[in-house]
Amino acid sequence: MSATDGNEMDGYEALVSELRAHPPVAPERLRQRVLEGAPAARAPRSRRRKLVLVVAPLAVVLAVGAALVHGFVNSGSNRAALLAPNARIPGGLAHSKYGAANTTPEAAVAHSLPVPQSKQLSTASKTYSLSNVAAGSVYDSLGTSRQAVTIPRHRLVHATASLQVGVKSSDLSAKTNEASQIVGSFGGYAQSVRYQATHQGDGEALLSLRVPVQNAQAAIAKLGGLGTLLSQQVSTQDLQAKVTHQTSAIGSLRRAITVYEAALRSPSLSATDRASLQIKLNNARRAQARLRHARAGTLASAATAGISLLLTTNNHAVVPVHHGSTRIGRLLGSAAHFLALEGIIVLYALIVLAPVLLIGGLVWWALRERRRREERLLASA
Amino acid sequence: MKAVNALPAAVRPPGRVAAPSFADVVAEDLDAVYRYLVYLTGDRVAAEDLAAETFERAFRSWRRFDPRRGAPRTWLCRIAHSAAVDWFRAEARRQRREENYSRDELQLEESVFAEGLSPELDRALHRLTPAEREVVALRVLLELDGPSAARVLGISGTACSTRLSRALKRLEEEMSDVRN
Repeated sequence: MSATDGNEMDGYEALVSELRAHPPVAPERLRQRVLEGAPAARAPRSRRRKLVLVVAPLAVVLAVGAALVHGFVNSGSNRAALLAPNARIPGGLAHSKYGAANTTPEAAVAHSLPVPQSKQLSTASKTYSLSNVAAGSVYDSLGTSRQAVTIPRHRLVHATASLQVGVKSSDLSAKTNEASQIVGSFGGYAQSVRYQATHQGDGEALLSLRVPVQNAQAAIAKLGGLGTLLSQQVSTQDLQAKVTHQTSAIGSLRRAITVYEAALRSPSLSATDRASLQIKLNNARRAQARLRHARAGTLASAATAGISLLLTTNNHAVVPVHHGSTRIGRLLGSAAHFLALEGIIVLYALIVLAPVLLIGGLVWWALRERRRREERLLASA
Repeated sequence: MKAVNALPAAVRPPGRVAAPSFADVVAEDLDAVYRYLVYLTGDRVAAEDLAAETFERAFRSWRRFDPRRGAPRTWLCRIAHSAAVDWFRAEARRQRREENYSRDELQLEESVFAEGLSPELDRALHRLTPAEREVVALRVLLELDGPSAARVLGISGTACSTRLSRALKRLEEEMSDVRN
């Protein structure tokens, strides 16, 4: 205590002396109680709490970080891919239906690597899809999505298309028949037709159609004109390289067979060599037959395109979700989606673990109550 | 030549204060905390319970105690103050519930604050408010300096001085009243 501290006590010296002379003294039982009430075993609790305080924020930071990384990786400029020259929608389809204000097309390329013309022998597969979205899509003003998807006519390609077309309830039956007729007019046929409708005419018809590849593009355009085009997916796979390779292999085998046959005609051939050559000749002939069969299959698959047409009275297509037009918007949207996914996983884990946690909590509470009851009993004894 | 940097082993680096063990603190400051609580509550039994609770709380947060920021006694008194405030709140609720509360009469029958204290002083102390007794306990009994006592009370040093002056003055007046 400093010298100035005692100023307030000036004049009360006797009082202060008496108070200081008789201070209350803590009873011995209190001393025992305090010393016994500080067991060393309690120390780890602090460490556990510290661990929780570190781990919990770390987990949150990691979750948010992972979401941001996921968003950053997935927010690449896919618009460039969308507007690639190959991502063209059949003109007939686009012009016939997308003039309306509420049916603006949006193209999404699932596998959109453009195939350079120089790589004539390469095998490439492309998928184009299109869905109708609300008015105001950015692609409408660009006009790019109004162009047609080109299915090459002078190359062997395997083409498949999937269309979803909205029609009126009263027209579903008629449009289903019309689709079959359209395909027939292009030299194709309906492989299967599944028609489901209520008395009011609401329902859908799923048609599996085959059309010669050279007419596929025109057929797709015409089928899309049956009603409101809700979604469209066209995929092509170049088979030219495959057929070229098969033809080349067949030619090689043919030359080998000629050589083997000439060798077998030689009279000076030993029995062992003859047997060996005979085996090789037989193998070559079998391989040639296999390759010819495979090439025939390849050519057959390149002959017709498969079109899956869904005529529906429900004029709503499944539209892919886009989180804004800017990259930051897409990043945040993707991150939010990822966070939501993490939340779902955590929620699921909590639901699964809830019974265990509940039982554990009850056991802990019961033990604590028991200990307290014992303490109270000891205190009252 | 004697090395300049060779410091005696007993010299600790500046700013580092050796933390006492909890047992040492109990041995040294239990009485002080108990005195403080007796004066504050005016109830020995409650003071005993609160002292035990204070040391229990202190033990739980012992790892966070930094001797550089203040003496253990000041730290303990702050904890005791907090515990006592909780106790006063609970007491107030209990008093409201119990209409025939007769704690005052019971306490006056025996010496509450200390053995050997004159009955006049004991009664006069009892007539002070808890806040007045608290400052007397901190400054007179525990001999804390002004800033430390003010820190425990959560008031300024000036307010602490004023409170002590008034408390002592009132204590003397109450003693005169009791004598007369």
